[in-house]
Amino acid sequence: MIDALVVVSRATLREPDGSLSGRFRSEGTVAAPGSQDRLAGSLRSVATSTVQAASRLGPPPQQGWVRRFLAAFAELWAARELTGNLVRRDLKVRHRGTFLGMLWSLTTPLLIVGLYYFIFKFIIKAAVAQDLPRPDGQAVPFAVYFFCGLSIWNLFATGVSASTSSVIGSGYLLNKVYFPRSVLPIASVLSALVTFGFEFAVLVFITLIAVGPPSIYVLWVPVIVAVVFLQAVGLALLLSAVTVYLRDMVHFIGIFMQVWFWSTPVIYSLIYVARESPAALNLLKANPMTGAVVSFRNVVVLNNPPALKLLAYGAACAVVMAVMGTTVFARSQRRFSEIV
Amino acid sequence: MGVAIACHDVWKSYRIYHQRSHTLKEKVLSRRNVFEEFWALRGIDLAVPEGATMGIIGANGSGKSTLLKTMARILTPNKGSVMVNGSVSPLLELGTGFHPELTGRENVFMACSVLGQKRRDVEDRYDQISAFAEIESFMDIPVKNYSSGMYARLAFAVAISVEPEILIIDEVLSVGDESFQIRCYQRLEELRAQGRTIVLVSHSLPTISGMCTEAAWVDHGEIREVGTTDDVVAGYVAAVHNEAAEFTEQAEQHPAGKRYGSGQAEITDVSFVDGDGQEVSSFRTGDPLTMRLAYRAHAVDDELVCGIGVLRAENLAYLFGQNTVQAGVPLPRNEGTVEFTLPSLPLLKGEYVVNVVLHDRSGRHIYDCHDRKYWFSVVENSTMPIEGGMMHVTGEWSAWTSPVSA
Repeated sequence: MIDALVVVSRATLREPDGSLSGRFRSEGTVAAPGSQDRLAGSLRSVATSTVQAASRLGPPPQQGWVRRFLAAFAELWAARELTGNLVRRDLKVRHRGTFLGMLWSLTTPLLIVGLYYFIFKFIIKAAVAQDLPRPDGQAVPFAVYFFCGLSIWNLFATGVSASTSSVIGSGYLLNKVYFPRSVLPIASVLSALVTFGFEFAVLVFITLIAVGPPSIYVLWVPVIVAVVFLQAVGLALLLSAVTVYLRDMVHFIGIFMQVWFWSTPVIYSLIYVARESPAALNLLKANPMTGAVVSFRNVVVLNNPPALKLLAYGAACAVVMAVMGTTVFARSQRRFSEIV
Repeated sequence: MGVAIACHDVWKSYRIYHQRSHTLKEKVLSRRNVFEEFWALRGIDLAVPEGATMGIIGANGSGKSTLLKTMARILTPNKGSVMVNGSVSPLLELGTGFHPELTGRENVFMACSVLGQKRRDVEDRYDQISAFAEIESFMDIPVKNYSSGMYARLAFAVAISVEPEILIIDEVLSVGDESFQIRCYQRLEELRAQGRTIVLVSHSLPTISGMCTEAAWVDHGEIREVGTTDDVVAGYVAAVHNEAAEFTEQAEQHPAGKRYGSGQAEITDVSFVDGDGQEVSSFRTGDPLTMRLAYRAHAVDDELVCGIGVLRAENLAYLFGQNTVQAGVPLPRNEGTVEFTLPSLPLLKGEYVVNVVLHDRSGRHIYDCHDRKYWFSVVENSTMPIEGGMMHVTGEWSAWTSPVSA
């Protein structure tokens, strides 16, 4: 125990036999981890000319989870420039060297809208998009209706699927430098959010021309986007951490998002399902994304109030997903740099 | 002064997987991963004082890099704690955070933010960085189109532009050409003068001796010694040489050793002895040094002559050589011991190798030669002024004012 309080000053350090020592030797024992006397801190190292109390070097006090969470959040905030740079890099790299550049992020959803328009106009011919009427009586073309749902869905889907490999794809960074690891999946979701911003601008423009002006309900958009964003971040944290230990996730996530897409009223309306298949309706209502997609369409193109109950359920799910994702990520991240 | 980095009883193990299951199929089929646990760090207690430049030395696989990565928070210890006071930038390789598709300019900002630098600070230093890399006109093209030299210069410029409170450097920085290294050391010197803490891992003892005020010697995951650089380096060198000496003994039994000659006489033992008569392998400049050589002659018909030669280890520069003929010392015919004593060792800090040879009077007929088989090291003598080169020579300086020409 005396060792624990050894104050090291080079000129006065004496070996046990009383001779003046020119060198400091740490004990260098092969104590088993957990041995008590080591915990007491047989700290004998150090400083040539400085005088230090060993007590300063003891293990840090255990913190409560609230404080840990706040500390993690502060760390994340401190790394915001890095996050911004990662998002910027993501967007730049994805489209650099291609002829259309940034326009690609718009072309893809527009082409998909064109494809589905063709299918539902000429092949299937079902009124899948029959939804609430607009108060001003304007008809909403299927293409606009679908593009609206697709844009908010894409925010979620591209964010989650891109983040899945965000950690395993950054091994070169993990091994060389420390930063809060959660920056990686969060940056993936943020770059999906930027792409969504472009799509949303186009959507508003098209809606103004093809349908009509929005109503006051459009002010709900930030709330809805926040719910989707939180869900995506929660899932992104969870999946990116799991993928480190189980690489199958990368392949699995594609089909998983396909199933989820068809389980969400993006291409069809909730009203259509309620009429055609009431049994499936309950299943759809259990989907955390249903409320967000339906509400987003209601407030942006249909000028109707959001589906509040479903949206609230989605928000609750988002919180649960975020907590789960954060917990799993925080627990597994310490070994990322060794495994990746 | 406070402590910049405090490692308290740090243990770190790696799992060496014989078969790692990464896929679901493998996970299901083989329930358990087969692995061995390897303890890279075993209870490290180490404090780096604020403003110190600490070198970490040790053999390959001793845990130096693991310790460094633990300090940089890249690795989390299994047990124990690492406390760091201040911002840390680890420089473990050049070009961390670079992306080939991004331009030079974008990569500067990217890499600096990865290293924990603020954008505003980087903006201030941007011109300096591009000027340092000497590629101002190429800053707006993607680095994938750079030559490897341009890439390395930019990466290097970024690396040395960082200004954290604590800098953690692996020896990767010692790659690159000489001008890089010189600038690197100048920069480290600047940072040290600003009172920043530097932790440096290197294999090169001269680098450690030259740069660091303090050193820690890591051996098999434990701290073997901490203290002033000269002390620790001397201890380390002595230990390495002891191991090498054992190795030499083994090598002696093999005919393939660096040994040749007719065998009419043989050198049976060579040792280096200090002023107290102790056999050692590390000396200080100015200390007495005696080389002691035992021999046995079997069938020598001519006069027996013993010679020694001393060379600088790193470049094998031949420093001096003497023999018993020149000195007029006859050797006993059958068996004996020869000593060569330097009352004041003139060699400066470094490693030296020694040739010993037995031959006839003409020097044409070699009985036994041990070529570059023995070595000793010289460490700085703190009581003597610092000199350049390999040798201490006595000389006198004088100076006077020149008469003003009319």
